Amino acid sequence: MDGAQSWRPRLASRARLKFDRVANQQMLLFPEATLILNETGAAIVRLCDGARSVEQITGALAQQFRGVERETLRREVDAFLESIRARGLLQ
Amino acid sequence: MSEAPRPYTLVAELTYRCPLRCVYCSNPVDFAHLRNELSTDEWRRAFSDAAQLGVIQLHFSGGEPVLRDDLCELIQHARACDLYTNLITGGTLLDEDKLRGYRKAGLEHIQLSIQGASVDTAEKVAGVRSHEKKLEVAQLITAIGFPFTLNVVLHRLNIHEVPELIQLALKLGAQRLELANTQFYAWGAENRSALMPTREQYLRAQDVAVAALEKYRGTLEIAFVQNDYLSGEPKPCMGGWGRSYMCIDPVGAVLPCHAARVIPGLKFESVRERSLAEIWRDSPGLNTFRGDAWMLEPCRSCERKDIDFGGCRCQAFMLAGNAAAADPICRLSPHRAAVTSAIDAAASDELIYRDAHNSRRLSAV
Repeated sequence: MDGAQSWRPRLASRARLKFDRVANQQMLLFPEATLILNETGAAIVRLCDGARSVEQITGALAQQFRGVERETLRREVDAFLESIRARGLLQ
Repeated sequence: MSEAPRPYTLVAELTYRCPLRCVYCSNPVDFAHLRNELSTDEWRRAFSDAAQLGVIQLHFSGGEPVLRDDLCELIQHARACDLYTNLITGGTLLDEDKLRGYRKAGLEHIQLSIQGASVDTAEKVAGVRSHEKKLEVAQLITAIGFPFTLNVVLHRLNIHEVPELIQLALKLGAQRLELANTQFYAWGAENRSALMPTREQYLRAQDVAVAALEKYRGTLEIAFVQNDYLSGEPKPCMGGWGRSYMCIDPVGAVLPCHAARVIPGLKFESVRERSLAEIWRDSPGLNTFRGDAWMLEPCRSCERKDIDFGGCRCQAFMLAGNAAAADPICRLSPHRAAVTSAIDAAASDELIYRDAHNSRRLSAV
Protein backbone atom coordinates (compact mmCIF):
# COMPACT_ATOMS: atom_id res chain seq x y z
CA MET A 1 0.00 0.00 0.00
CA ASP A 2 2.87 2.33 -0.77
CA GLY A 3 0.67 4.38 -3.10
CA ALA A 4 -1.99 4.94 -0.46
CA GLN A 5 0.55 6.09 2.13
CA SER A 6 2.16 8.63 -0.13
CA TRP A 7 -1.16 9.97 -1.44
CA ARG A 8 -1.50 13.70 -0.90
CA PRO A 9 -5.06 14.46 -1.92
CA ARG A 10 -5.83 17.75 -3.57
CA LEU A 11 -9.31 19.03 -4.33
CA ALA A 12 -10.03 18.76 -8.08
CA SER A 13 -9.86 22.07 -9.90
CA ARG A 14 -13.53 21.84 -10.87
CA ALA A 15 -14.68 21.70 -7.25
CA ARG A 16 -15.00 24.61 -4.85
CA LEU A 17 -15.95 24.96 -1.20
CA LYS A 18 -18.61 27.53 -0.48
CA PHE A 19 -20.21 28.76 2.69
CA ASP A 20 -23.90 29.09 1.94
CA ARG A 21 -25.44 32.01 3.77
CA VAL A 22 -29.02 30.97 2.96
CA ALA A 23 -28.87 27.67 4.86
CA ASN A 24 -25.78 28.45 6.98
CA GLN A 25 -23.81 25.45 5.86
CA GLN A 26 -20.71 24.46 3.95
CA MET A 27 -21.18 23.13 0.44
CA LEU A 28 -18.88 21.50 -2.07
CA LEU A 29 -19.73 22.78 -5.55
CA PHE A 30 -18.90 21.09 -8.81
CA PRO A 31 -20.58 20.84 -12.21
CA GLU A 32 -24.11 19.45 -12.05
CA ALA A 33 -24.21 18.85 -8.31
CA THR A 34 -23.70 20.21 -4.84
CA LEU A 35 -22.72 18.27 -1.73
CA ILE A 36 -23.80 19.58 1.63
CA LEU A 37 -20.95 19.07 4.09
CA ASN A 38 -20.94 18.76 7.82
CA GLU A 39 -18.26 20.46 9.90
CA THR A 40 -15.85 17.53 9.65
CA GLY A 41 -16.29 17.18 5.90
CA ALA A 42 -15.61 20.87 5.32
CA ALA A 43 -12.53 20.71 7.56
CA ILE A 44 -11.18 17.71 5.61
CA VAL A 45 -11.76 19.43 2.26
CA ARG A 46 -9.82 22.49 3.47
CA LEU A 47 -6.90 20.20 4.33
CA CYS A 48 -6.81 18.54 0.89
CA ASP A 49 -4.15 20.90 -0.43
CA GLY A 50 -1.93 18.42 -2.25
CA ALA A 51 0.79 18.85 0.41
CA ARG A 52 -0.59 16.83 3.31
CA SER A 53 -0.77 13.05 3.41
CA VAL A 54 -3.91 11.37 4.73
CA GLU A 55 -2.13 10.79 8.05
CA GLN A 56 -1.22 14.48 8.26
CA ILE A 57 -4.78 15.47 7.42
CA THR A 58 -5.97 13.28 10.30
CA GLY A 59 -3.36 14.86 12.57
CA ALA A 60 -4.47 18.38 11.69
CA LEU A 61 -8.08 17.37 12.18
CA ALA A 62 -7.28 15.97 15.63
CA GLN A 63 -6.15 19.47 16.63
CA GLN A 64 -9.56 20.85 15.69
CA PHE A 65 -11.72 18.06 17.08
CA ARG A 66 -10.17 17.33 20.46
CA GLY A 67 -11.79 14.57 22.40
CA VAL A 68 -12.46 12.44 19.31
CA GLU A 69 -10.36 9.29 19.16
CA ARG A 70 -7.64 9.38 16.56
CA GLU A 71 -8.70 6.03 15.09
CA THR A 72 -12.30 7.17 14.78
CA LEU A 73 -11.13 10.31 13.02
CA ARG A 74 -8.94 8.32 10.63
CA ARG A 75 -11.86 6.09 9.71
CA GLU A 76 -13.99 9.15 9.03
CA VAL A 77 -11.26 10.73 6.93
CA ASP A 78 -10.77 7.55 4.88
CA ALA A 79 -14.48 7.10 4.26
CA PHE A 80 -15.01 10.74 3.35
CA LEU A 81 -12.02 10.91 1.01
CA GLU A 82 -13.09 7.71 -0.72
CA SER A 83 -16.62 9.03 -1.24
CA ILE A 84 -15.47 12.22 -2.93
CA ARG A 85 -12.60 10.52 -4.77
CA ALA A 86 -15.12 8.16 -6.39
CA ARG A 87 -16.90 11.23 -7.75
CA GLY A 88 -13.69 12.46 -9.29
CA LEU A 89 -13.36 15.35 -6.86
CA LEU A 90 -9.80 14.60 -5.71
CA GLN A 91 -6.61 14.41 -7.65
CA MET B 1 -48.40 28.90 -2.40
CA SER B 2 -47.30 30.84 0.68
CA GLU B 3 -43.60 30.07 0.58
CA ALA B 4 -41.72 29.18 -2.58
CA PRO B 5 -39.09 26.41 -2.48
CA ARG B 6 -35.42 27.31 -2.74
CA PRO B 7 -34.01 27.26 -6.28
CA TYR B 8 -30.49 25.84 -6.60
CA THR B 9 -29.86 25.96 -10.33
CA LEU B 10 -30.33 28.63 -12.96
CA VAL B 11 -29.96 27.93 -16.65
CA ALA B 12 -29.46 31.25 -18.41
CA GLU B 13 -30.27 30.91 -22.10
CA LEU B 14 -28.33 33.99 -23.17
CA THR B 15 -29.29 33.76 -26.83
CA TYR B 16 -30.95 31.44 -29.34
CA ARG B 17 -28.45 32.45 -32.04
CA CYS B 18 -26.21 29.51 -32.96
CA PRO B 19 -23.94 28.56 -35.85
CA LEU B 20 -24.86 24.87 -35.48
CA ARG B 21 -28.06 23.26 -36.79
CA CYS B 22 -28.30 20.18 -34.54
CA VAL B 23 -31.33 18.06 -35.23
CA TYR B 24 -31.92 17.30 -31.52
CA CYS B 25 -31.75 20.93 -30.33
CA SER B 26 -33.81 21.72 -27.23
CA ASN B 27 -34.47 25.35 -28.17
CA PRO B 28 -38.09 26.12 -29.00
CA VAL B 29 -39.03 25.38 -32.60
CA ASP B 30 -40.29 28.96 -32.99
CA PHE B 31 -37.01 30.52 -31.77
CA ALA B 32 -36.64 32.63 -34.94
CA HIS B 33 -39.56 34.83 -33.88
CA LEU B 34 -37.80 35.86 -30.71
CA ARG B 35 -36.29 39.35 -30.72
CA ASN B 36 -34.74 41.73 -28.24
CA GLU B 37 -32.44 39.69 -25.97
CA LEU B 38 -31.94 40.82 -22.38
CA SER B 39 -29.24 43.48 -21.96
CA THR B 40 -26.09 43.07 -19.90
CA ASP B 41 -27.66 44.99 -17.03
CA GLU B 42 -30.85 42.93 -17.13
CA TRP B 43 -28.87 39.70 -16.92
CA ARG B 44 -26.69 41.08 -14.13
CA ARG B 45 -29.75 41.96 -12.10
CA ALA B 46 -31.22 38.51 -12.71
CA PHE B 47 -28.01 36.84 -11.46
CA SER B 48 -27.92 39.00 -8.32
CA ASP B 49 -31.56 38.22 -7.60
CA ALA B 50 -31.03 34.51 -8.28
CA ALA B 51 -28.10 34.33 -5.84
CA GLN B 52 -30.24 36.16 -3.25
CA LEU B 53 -32.96 33.51 -3.69
CA GLY B 54 -30.44 30.75 -3.01
CA VAL B 55 -29.26 29.73 -6.49
CA ILE B 56 -25.81 28.15 -6.39
CA GLN B 57 -25.17 26.83 -9.88
CA LEU B 58 -25.34 29.01 -12.97
CA HIS B 59 -25.18 27.52 -16.45
CA PHE B 60 -24.59 29.91 -19.34
CA SER B 61 -26.48 28.26 -22.17
CA GLY B 62 -28.02 29.06 -25.53
CA GLY B 63 -28.08 28.83 -28.53
CA GLU B 64 -24.40 29.56 -28.47
CA PRO B 65 -23.69 31.75 -25.42
CA VAL B 66 -20.24 32.66 -26.76
CA LEU B 67 -22.06 34.87 -29.29
CA ARG B 68 -22.80 37.31 -26.48
CA ASP B 69 -20.07 39.97 -26.58
CA ASP B 70 -20.68 40.68 -22.91
CA LEU B 71 -20.03 37.13 -21.71
CA CYS B 72 -16.89 38.15 -19.76
CA GLU B 73 -18.83 40.81 -17.89
CA LEU B 74 -21.60 38.35 -17.12
CA ILE B 75 -19.12 35.78 -15.80
CA GLN B 76 -17.45 38.41 -13.62
CA HIS B 77 -20.74 39.49 -12.18
CA ALA B 78 -21.89 35.92 -11.53
CA ARG B 79 -18.65 35.20 -9.66
CA ALA B 80 -19.06 38.38 -7.65
CA CYS B 81 -22.44 36.89 -6.59
CA ASP B 82 -20.55 33.70 -5.58
CA LEU B 83 -22.33 31.57 -8.20
CA TYR B 84 -20.63 28.45 -9.58
CA THR B 85 -20.22 29.22 -13.28
CA ASN B 86 -20.45 26.73 -16.13
CA LEU B 87 -20.38 27.51 -19.85
CA ILE B 88 -22.39 25.20 -22.12
CA THR B 89 -21.00 25.65 -25.61
CA GLY B 90 -20.76 24.09 -29.06
CA GLY B 91 -17.19 25.35 -29.14
CA THR B 92 -16.89 26.29 -32.81
CA LEU B 93 -16.51 30.01 -32.08
CA LEU B 94 -13.91 29.63 -29.34
CA ASP B 95 -10.24 30.49 -29.61
CA GLU B 96 -7.38 30.88 -27.18
CA ASP B 97 -7.98 34.62 -26.54
CA LYS B 98 -11.64 34.10 -25.75
CA LEU B 99 -10.93 31.14 -23.47
CA ARG B 100 -8.21 33.01 -21.57
CA GLY B 101 -10.58 35.95 -21.22
CA TYR B 102 -13.29 33.77 -19.69
CA ARG B 103 -10.73 32.16 -17.41
CA LYS B 104 -9.59 35.56 -16.20
CA ALA B 105 -13.20 36.61 -15.67
CA GLY B 106 -13.59 33.62 -13.34
CA LEU B 107 -15.32 30.93 -15.39
CA GLU B 108 -15.02 27.63 -13.51
CA HIS B 109 -16.10 24.90 -15.89
CA ILE B 110 -16.87 24.29 -19.56
CA GLN B 111 -19.30 21.80 -21.06
CA LEU B 112 -18.40 21.22 -24.69
CA SER B 113 -20.73 19.35 -27.01
CA ILE B 114 -19.71 17.12 -29.87
CA GLN B 115 -22.19 15.35 -32.11
CA GLY B 116 -20.43 12.04 -32.68
CA ALA B 117 -17.08 10.25 -32.67
CA SER B 118 -16.55 10.33 -36.43
CA VAL B 119 -16.54 13.44 -38.63
CA ASP B 120 -19.25 12.08 -40.92
CA THR B 121 -21.69 11.24 -38.15
CA ALA B 122 -21.01 14.41 -36.18
CA GLU B 123 -21.49 16.73 -39.11
CA LYS B 124 -24.59 14.99 -40.35
CA VAL B 125 -26.13 15.69 -36.94
CA ALA B 126 -24.81 19.25 -36.55
CA GLY B 127 -25.64 20.15 -40.14
CA VAL B 128 -22.41 22.15 -40.59
CA ARG B 129 -18.64 21.60 -40.73
CA SER B 130 -17.62 21.69 -37.10
CA HIS B 131 -16.09 18.47 -35.77
CA GLU B 132 -12.37 19.12 -36.34
CA LYS B 133 -12.68 22.61 -34.88
CA LYS B 134 -14.39 21.21 -31.79
CA LEU B 135 -11.56 18.74 -31.22
CA GLU B 136 -9.00 21.56 -31.48
CA VAL B 137 -11.00 23.62 -29.00
CA ALA B 138 -11.18 20.67 -26.60
CA GLN B 139 -7.39 20.50 -26.61
CA LEU B 140 -7.16 24.25 -25.96
CA ILE B 141 -9.61 23.95 -23.07
CA THR B 142 -7.43 21.29 -21.45
CA ALA B 143 -4.18 23.14 -22.22
CA ILE B 144 -5.49 26.29 -20.53
CA GLY B 145 -6.45 24.21 -17.53
CA PHE B 146 -10.23 24.42 -17.55
CA PRO B 147 -12.01 21.45 -16.06
CA PHE B 148 -14.44 20.24 -18.68
CA THR B 149 -17.33 17.96 -19.45
CA LEU B 150 -17.70 16.46 -22.87
CA ASN B 151 -21.36 16.23 -23.79
CA VAL B 152 -22.78 14.04 -26.52
CA VAL B 153 -26.48 13.76 -27.27
CA LEU B 154 -27.19 10.18 -28.31
CA HIS B 155 -29.69 8.90 -30.87
CA ARG B 156 -29.99 6.39 -33.66
CA LEU B 157 -27.36 8.12 -35.82
CA ASN B 158 -24.53 7.97 -33.27
CA ILE B 159 -25.46 5.61 -30.42
CA HIS B 160 -23.24 2.84 -31.88
CA GLU B 161 -20.24 5.15 -31.34
CA VAL B 162 -20.40 5.08 -27.53
CA PRO B 163 -17.18 3.01 -27.15
CA GLU B 164 -15.29 5.48 -29.36
CA LEU B 165 -16.84 8.44 -27.55
CA ILE B 166 -15.54 7.14 -24.22
CA GLN B 167 -12.02 6.78 -25.65
CA LEU B 168 -12.26 10.26 -27.12
CA ALA B 169 -13.28 11.76 -23.77
CA LEU B 170 -10.25 10.10 -22.13
CA LYS B 171 -7.92 11.27 -24.88
CA LEU B 172 -9.18 14.85 -24.73
CA GLY B 173 -8.72 14.99 -20.97
CA ALA B 174 -12.36 15.53 -20.00
CA GLN B 175 -13.20 14.96 -16.33
CA ARG B 176 -16.76 14.09 -17.14
CA LEU B 177 -18.58 12.56 -20.08
CA GLU B 178 -22.27 13.13 -20.45
CA LEU B 179 -23.90 10.55 -22.70
CA ALA B 180 -27.29 12.17 -22.89
CA ASN B 181 -29.92 10.32 -24.84
CA THR B 182 -32.10 12.65 -26.89
CA GLN B 183 -35.08 14.04 -25.05
CA PHE B 184 -37.99 14.30 -27.42
CA TYR B 185 -38.96 17.94 -27.15
CA ALA B 186 -38.67 20.81 -29.61
CA TRP B 187 -36.38 19.84 -32.51
CA GLY B 188 -35.86 16.43 -30.95
CA ALA B 189 -39.62 15.88 -31.18
CA GLU B 190 -39.73 17.09 -34.79
CA ASN B 191 -37.05 14.52 -35.61
CA ARG B 192 -38.21 11.75 -33.28
CA SER B 193 -38.81 9.18 -35.98
CA ALA B 194 -35.25 9.61 -37.31
CA LEU B 195 -33.58 9.82 -33.89
CA MET B 196 -35.23 7.05 -31.86
CA PRO B 197 -32.76 4.18 -31.45
CA THR B 198 -33.89 0.59 -31.41
CA ARG B 199 -34.27 -1.06 -28.02
CA GLU B 200 -31.26 -3.29 -28.80
CA GLN B 201 -29.05 -0.31 -29.70
CA TYR B 202 -30.10 1.50 -26.57
CA LEU B 203 -29.47 -1.40 -24.19
CA ARG B 204 -26.10 -2.15 -25.77
CA ALA B 205 -24.99 1.48 -25.35
CA GLN B 206 -26.17 1.46 -21.76
CA ASP B 207 -24.18 -1.71 -21.02
CA VAL B 208 -21.03 -0.17 -22.48
CA ALA B 209 -21.55 3.03 -20.50
CA VAL B 210 -22.18 1.21 -17.22
CA ALA B 211 -19.07 -0.95 -17.65
CA ALA B 212 -16.97 2.13 -18.44
CA LEU B 213 -18.43 3.96 -15.47
CA GLU B 214 -16.99 1.27 -13.17
CA LYS B 215 -13.72 1.02 -15.04
CA TYR B 216 -12.90 4.73 -15.04
CA ARG B 217 -14.35 5.66 -11.65
CA GLY B 218 -12.25 8.45 -10.13
CA THR B 219 -10.70 9.35 -13.52
CA LEU B 220 -13.61 10.03 -15.82
CA GLU B 221 -17.09 10.47 -14.46
CA ILE B 222 -19.66 9.09 -16.89
CA ALA B 223 -23.30 10.09 -16.84
CA PHE B 224 -25.78 8.15 -18.96
CA VAL B 225 -28.98 10.14 -19.29
CA GLN B 226 -31.84 7.79 -20.10
CA ASN B 227 -34.17 7.67 -23.03
CA ASP B 228 -37.40 7.34 -21.06
CA TYR B 229 -39.35 5.95 -24.02
CA LEU B 230 -37.04 2.93 -23.93
CA SER B 231 -36.25 2.73 -20.21
CA GLY B 232 -39.97 2.85 -19.44
CA GLU B 233 -39.35 4.89 -16.31
CA PRO B 234 -40.97 8.30 -15.94
CA LYS B 235 -38.30 10.86 -15.14
CA PRO B 236 -38.64 13.05 -12.05
CA CYS B 237 -38.51 15.95 -14.43
CA MET B 238 -36.39 18.86 -13.20
CA GLY B 239 -36.68 17.34 -9.72
CA GLY B 240 -40.24 18.67 -9.64
CA TRP B 241 -41.83 21.63 -11.40
CA GLY B 242 -40.69 25.01 -10.05
CA ARG B 243 -38.89 23.33 -7.21
CA SER B 244 -35.10 23.63 -7.39
CA TYR B 245 -34.46 24.58 -10.99
CA MET B 246 -35.25 27.60 -13.12
CA CYS B 247 -34.56 28.60 -16.67
CA ILE B 248 -34.53 32.15 -18.01
CA ASP B 249 -34.91 32.42 -21.76
CA PRO B 250 -33.18 35.05 -23.94
CA VAL B 251 -35.98 37.59 -23.48
CA GLY B 252 -36.25 37.05 -19.74
CA ALA B 253 -39.17 34.62 -19.35
CA VAL B 254 -38.75 32.58 -16.17
CA LEU B 255 -39.55 28.93 -16.87
CA PRO B 256 -39.51 25.70 -14.83
CA CYS B 257 -37.56 24.10 -17.73
CA HIS B 258 -36.53 25.07 -21.22
CA ALA B 259 -39.42 23.15 -22.85
CA ALA B 260 -42.32 24.45 -20.76
CA ARG B 261 -43.53 27.03 -23.27
CA VAL B 262 -44.89 24.12 -25.32
CA ILE B 263 -47.79 23.80 -22.85
CA PRO B 264 -50.55 26.18 -23.96
CA GLY B 265 -52.32 28.47 -21.52
CA LEU B 266 -49.52 28.80 -18.99
CA LYS B 267 -48.48 32.34 -18.15
CA PHE B 268 -44.77 32.88 -17.67
CA GLU B 269 -43.47 36.30 -16.71
CA SER B 270 -40.29 38.10 -17.70
CA VAL B 271 -37.65 39.59 -15.44
CA ARG B 272 -38.31 42.75 -17.46
CA GLU B 273 -41.77 43.01 -15.86
CA ARG B 274 -41.20 41.96 -12.25
CA SER B 275 -38.37 40.97 -9.94
CA LEU B 276 -37.14 37.40 -10.11
CA ALA B 277 -38.10 36.83 -6.47
CA GLU B 278 -41.71 37.86 -7.11
CA ILE B 279 -41.91 35.77 -10.27
CA TRP B 280 -40.43 32.71 -8.57
CA ARG B 281 -42.98 32.97 -5.78
CA ASP B 282 -46.11 34.16 -7.60
CA SER B 283 -45.90 33.37 -11.31
CA PRO B 284 -49.05 31.43 -12.32
CA GLY B 285 -47.01 29.30 -14.75
CA LEU B 286 -44.61 28.21 -12.01
CA ASN B 287 -47.35 27.55 -9.48
CA THR B 288 -49.59 25.48 -11.77
CA PHE B 289 -47.73 22.20 -11.19
CA ARG B 290 -46.01 22.86 -7.88
CA GLY B 291 -46.79 20.38 -5.12
CA ASP B 292 -49.28 17.60 -5.99
CA ALA B 293 -52.75 19.19 -5.79
CA TRP B 294 -52.92 19.25 -9.61
CA MET B 295 -52.43 15.50 -9.95
CA LEU B 296 -55.03 13.22 -11.48
CA GLU B 297 -55.31 9.45 -11.17
CA PRO B 298 -53.31 7.24 -11.41
CA CYS B 299 -50.73 9.73 -10.01
CA ARG B 300 -52.79 11.13 -7.16
CA SER B 301 -52.89 7.89 -5.19
CA CYS B 302 -49.57 6.52 -6.43
CA GLU B 303 -46.88 5.69 -3.90
CA ARG B 304 -44.24 7.01 -6.30
CA LYS B 305 -45.76 10.47 -6.65
CA ASP B 306 -43.10 12.09 -4.45
CA ILE B 307 -40.36 10.23 -6.34
CA ASP B 308 -41.14 10.92 -9.99
CA PHE B 309 -43.76 13.70 -9.59
CA GLY B 310 -45.88 12.00 -12.24
CA GLY B 311 -43.09 12.34 -14.82
CA CYS B 312 -42.78 15.21 -17.24
CA ARG B 313 -45.62 17.74 -17.69
CA CYS B 314 -44.51 18.71 -21.19
CA GLN B 315 -44.45 15.08 -22.27
CA ALA B 316 -47.90 14.51 -20.75
CA PHE B 317 -49.20 17.39 -22.84
CA MET B 318 -47.40 16.26 -26.01
CA LEU B 319 -48.39 12.58 -25.80
CA ALA B 320 -51.65 12.58 -23.81
CA GLY B 321 -52.96 16.02 -24.69
CA ASN B 322 -53.23 17.01 -21.03
CA ALA B 323 -50.33 18.45 -19.05
CA ALA B 324 -51.87 17.28 -15.74
CA ALA B 325 -52.14 13.65 -16.86
CA ALA B 326 -49.66 10.95 -15.91
CA ASP B 327 -46.63 11.00 -18.19
CA PRO B 328 -47.47 8.33 -20.82
CA ILE B 329 -44.01 6.86 -20.23
CA CYS B 330 -45.55 5.31 -17.10
CA ARG B 331 -46.98 1.81 -17.56
CA LEU B 332 -50.01 2.94 -15.54
CA SER B 333 -50.88 5.66 -18.04
CA PRO B 334 -53.90 4.96 -20.27
CA HIS B 335 -51.95 6.71 -23.06
CA ARG B 336 -48.99 4.32 -22.97
CA ALA B 337 -49.73 3.32 -26.60
CA ALA B 338 -48.50 6.75 -27.76
CA VAL B 339 -45.05 5.77 -26.51
CA THR B 340 -44.92 2.23 -27.85
CA SER B 341 -46.17 3.27 -31.28
CA ALA B 342 -43.54 6.03 -31.44
CA ILE B 343 -40.84 3.43 -30.77
CA ASP B 344 -42.24 1.01 -33.34
CA ALA B 345 -42.83 3.66 -36.00
CA ALA B 346 -39.33 5.12 -35.81
CA ALA B 347 -38.11 4.52 -39.34
CA SER B 348 -37.61 7.90 -40.98
CA ASP B 349 -34.33 8.99 -42.57
CA GLU B 350 -35.42 12.55 -43.05
CA LEU B 351 -33.82 15.18 -40.82
CA ILE B 352 -35.15 18.64 -40.08
CA TYR B 353 -32.26 20.91 -39.22
CA ARG B 354 -32.54 23.53 -36.52
CA ASP B 355 -32.13 26.84 -38.29
CA ALA B 356 -34.02 30.09 -38.72
CA HIS B 357 -35.48 29.04 -42.06
CA ASN B 358 -37.01 25.83 -40.69
CA SER B 359 -38.06 27.64 -37.53
CA ARG B 360 -40.15 30.11 -39.53
CA ARG B 361 -41.51 27.37 -41.75
CA LEU B 362 -42.62 25.17 -38.83
CA SER B 363 -44.06 27.96 -36.72
CA ALA B 364 -45.67 30.22 -39.31
CA VAL B 365 -48.63 32.02 -37.82
